[in-house]
Amino acid sequence: MRKRRGKFSRAAARGLRRLLMGLTLCAAGPFAVTTGQAAAAGLPYVPASDSVVLTEVPAGATHRSTPSLALTATRLDVALPLAEFDISRARATGDLRFLGYAEAALAPWRDRPDARPEVLVLDATILQSRHAFDASLLELDRALGLRPDDAQGWLTRAVVLRVLGRYQEAASSCERLRASADPAITSLCVQSLRSLTGHLGDAYLAIKSLSTEQLPAEARAWRYSELGEMSERLGDSDSGGHWFREGLAVAPGDLYLRTAYADWLLQQGRANETVGLLADYQSMEPMLLRLTIAHRMLRDGAGTGAEAQLATAFQLELARGDAVHRREQARFLLDVEHDPGAALSAAVENWRVQREPDDISILLRAAQASHRPDAAAPALEFLKRTGLEDVRLAAYRGAN
Amino acid sequence: MSRSLRWRMGRVAAGAWTLIAGLLATFALSGGAFAHISSNGFLTVRVDGQHLAGSLEMAVRDAELAVGLDANHDGKVTWGELRAAEPQLARYLSEHVMLSTQGRRCDIAFMPLEVNDRVDGHYAWLPFEGSCAQPIHALEIRYSVLVGLDPSHRGLLTLSAGSAAQTAVLGGATAQASFTVFAPDRWRAFRDYFKAGVWHILSGIDHLLFLLSLLLPAVLLRKSGRWEPVHAARPALIGILKVVTAFTLAHSITLSLAALDVIRLPSRLTESVIAASIIVAALNNIFPVITESRARIAFGFGLLHGFGFASVLSDMGLPPGARLISLLSFNLGIEAGQLSVVLVVMPIVYAVRSGLFYRRTVMPWGSAAIAALAFVWLVQRAVFPSG
Repeated sequence: MRKRRGKFSRAAARGLRRLLMGLTLCAAGPFAVTTGQAAAAGLPYVPASDSVVLTEVPAGATHRSTPSLALTATRLDVALPLAEFDISRARATGDLRFLGYAEAALAPWRDRPDARPEVLVLDATILQSRHAFDASLLELDRALGLRPDDAQGWLTRAVVLRVLGRYQEAASSCERLRASADPAITSLCVQSLRSLTGHLGDAYLAIKSLSTEQLPAEARAWRYSELGEMSERLGDSDSGGHWFREGLAVAPGDLYLRTAYADWLLQQGRANETVGLLADYQSMEPMLLRLTIAHRMLRDGAGTGAEAQLATAFQLELARGDAVHRREQARFLLDVEHDPGAALSAAVENWRVQREPDDISILLRAAQASHRPDAAAPALEFLKRTGLEDVRLAAYRGAN
Repeated sequence: MSRSLRWRMGRVAAGAWTLIAGLLATFALSGGAFAHISSNGFLTVRVDGQHLAGSLEMAVRDAELAVGLDANHDGKVTWGELRAAEPQLARYLSEHVMLSTQGRRCDIAFMPLEVNDRVDGHYAWLPFEGSCAQPIHALEIRYSVLVGLDPSHRGLLTLSAGSAAQTAVLGGATAQASFTVFAPDRWRAFRDYFKAGVWHILSGIDHLLFLLSLLLPAVLLRKSGRWEPVHAARPALIGILKVVTAFTLAHSITLSLAALDVIRLPSRLTESVIAASIIVAALNNIFPVITESRARIAFGFGLLHGFGFASVLSDMGLPPGARLISLLSFNLGIEAGQLSVVLVVMPIVYAVRSGLFYRRTVMPWGSAAIAALAFVWLVQRAVFPSG
């Protein structure tokens, strides 16, 4: 309690300073000059001593690594693995700068008229990670035109189309995997789409009986996350939690599974465990969001710094024109800031970009909270058209 | 977060790995509490005639990538290391951020380096001053920071001149851009925000019902437990004036405080208390407790209504360079809307004040209906704040 008061009075003092500044400027005649910068920071300062550490530099992001970047312009056999490394770092740590490094490594090869398909597929992966889905599809189509049996290309294409809610096209992409990919991967791809188009129960059993022992951890993690999500859509929460836990045991570094399990825990009201699950992942906005919601549920007052941090990070993304975390932003506005109107705007914007079940859910929730059933219409129409089954969304279908 | 699937790494020639492996696998990866967002730089420029002043900010991590700060290669950059590399950093930035007008480059001099903390880590903050060959009407900016190293880097520009400010995103496809240095259209801001204020009060029925609940008895007098009509217009007018002024004063104070970010209250709280205020005001008409100083109720709860107005304003945002005028005109719009309702309703109420219908029906049952409606709002807002 004491700590919170301290925080409040500091904030009040800061605000008062700002007000006084505003009044002074006002009295001086012209209207207040403000930078209007979305993410105004505190005041610059001189650190206390030379030994103060300002940043830790991750491997691959040092100035010393730039000679290898220079090599990428002339050697494709350096550019490709470097880009792969950077993408894998971005995915393992959530550090978006690594996507930029990967892009830099690929740029000289991507822009050539005779660009190689593997370069284009990697570039499409970067674009997908930035939620630039249309650009990603263009790049994939280019790649698959050059190499029609590129399994990774078809798989990425299926994933992107699925995020866009274009399930028929995604399913066709999955079919193209049969020729060149592992049968288990093909089956995961095909069945996960069937689960979204009216065959949830069948698809669940098919994936459950699938043996992925021979596959790398990533594909196994994929299977577990599908099983967990399908269980939840079927209304079998206990199984959902079981699959997410199994998946995390196999692939503890899989951020998708961790996020899904965090949501599952929040759904179950087990906010304490959410805090433990995400404690080491605070630098990632999706994780920080769930952590903040957990602290809210616990009413322990520990999430206030994180709330300001999230708000600033979302503002910066908007200022840049990025769409990466728009769904999270909508959820933040709805569940943390309790601002349904703003949440609905963000959810509508998000709906323009992506259409996963979670995107449907946030749009329906925000529309209901702001008493705007008309805004939910596109999502309801989507549910009807695709036949997507999800017991959690059934209530909204009835309500509207 | 959507799943991205890569189930195998590309095949790598052994020779290529030895070229890059040594450069990559040097340090353990670290997490930390800073947000992982894409790389941003911050450029703030204030223009005054032909003079420039401002600051350039580059994340310490980006500066390491660009010029190399980690002299002892321990994977950490200290303030000492950053300071030692200040000349290289200043040179890099002056090569990659160029300000000019009419095609002629402005001379920029950097002042001593400091550190600024932002959401994704510590930044090297370099203030600068400069001058151009002639007064600046259009400022051209070339921004090529981290080009070739991180193409997703963007420079977030805030450019101000006098009271006008504008923002822009530099980098990527916009390596070069020209900005007209102009004053904001204050008249337009005034008009837009005035309209928004009028519209909000006219559509925000909860504020009006609160005010009306306080005004309904303004044409009556409480005498020995009964409502009696006032005999002259003057006391009625004074009563109305007091209530409206108190309400206006109170909500203006809190609207300003909230709009200028001095105080923020959770919307669930303010919206609930606004609903409660209507109940109190309406019930006070049926079971009068406060009969003489309704202006106090208007003032006390008016403070909360101000926060309600502010939430609308925060959705709209205050335009940089015209913040105060927008705030003022929004507030004036609210007053104008409120006043027009008072001017329409109160003469009617005054005209019918003597009839029993007004005193026995409109006052108690109207107030009861208002209280009931407000009670529904209260439950909605307090118990189901977001659905």
